Amino acid sequence: MRVDVVLFAHFSGFQPDGKGGRHARAFEFEEGTTIADVIAMLGLPDEPRVIFVNSTHAPEEQELRDGDRLAIFPPVAGG
Amino acid sequence: MSATSDTFDLHPYRPERVAVEVPDTALDPELRARLHECTVAIIGCGGLGSNVAEMLARSGVGRLTLVDFDTVDERNLNRQFFFRDQIGMPKVIALAENLQRIRSDVRLDLVQDRVTPENLVGLVRGACAIVEAVDEAGVKAMIVNTCLAELPDIPLVTASGLAGYGSTNAIVTERMADGLYVVGDLTSDVRDGHPLFASRVMAAAAAQAHAVVRVLLGYREP
Repeated sequence: MRVDVVLFAHFSGFQPDGKGGRHARAFEFEEGTTIADVIAMLGLPDEPRVIFVNSTHAPEEQELRDGDRLAIFPPVAGG
Repeated sequence: MSATSDTFDLHPYRPERVAVEVPDTALDPELRARLHECTVAIIGCGGLGSNVAEMLARSGVGRLTLVDFDTVDERNLNRQFFFRDQIGMPKVIALAENLQRIRSDVRLDLVQDRVTPENLVGLVRGACAIVEAVDEAGVKAMIVNTCLAELPDIPLVTASGLAGYGSTNAIVTERMADGLYVVGDLTSDVRDGHPLFASRVMAAAAAQAHAVVRVLLGYREP
């Protein structure tokens, strides 16, 4: 299945092409792949994060579906 | 009057020239009423939250829920809406005092407590909008994750990336997901040693407050 992955802020440096930037990259995943699987595959650091699938909040254990757009946003400190 | 004094006016402030009062009814009465009926929950009353509260009170929001566990410290005075004689006071009490000096009719619910995944929903349920204004990244993420999961119908305005002396032009407001508005440059982190400047923190606070006003007035895009 095809899933678009968007990584915000410093997470964007973990896109496999190493080019950074917040534009979506297309990935091919096996059926049953979860968001947690994708996080592990990308090697994202264990930092606070917010996850959306198709602009809706999603838990890490959620299975992805063909055509999904996964976005991961790491809030940074300061206020 | 000589030509010279006309050209070099050393006293440009002339009250008779600026006496045109800006009427407080500039906003359509129906829209004013809409803001007055709204409750906005502000989580964190530091650099962001205290200034957001001030701007929402001045904008006519009827009721504010103010949540903060902390007390006013001298180090807060470089960017937070507090005064020297309030050092040591609970921030929610000091902020309430200041807001009522601006608008005596603003209704305030004060909560001096830390937000946790357990108490958060109870504190903000029923609000028309929620403002995330804390400083720790982990708490920001917890607030966003909890509110989006438990209260997806209440718009949430969060902030991320407002430290340092980068241009305020880098501070933007975007609708990152359904019901989630993010203000900031997304990257400048106090953990990287960036200081917090009043001007940049207040720019972010103003953007947060304005996103709230727009949402309350019915706009979907910030």
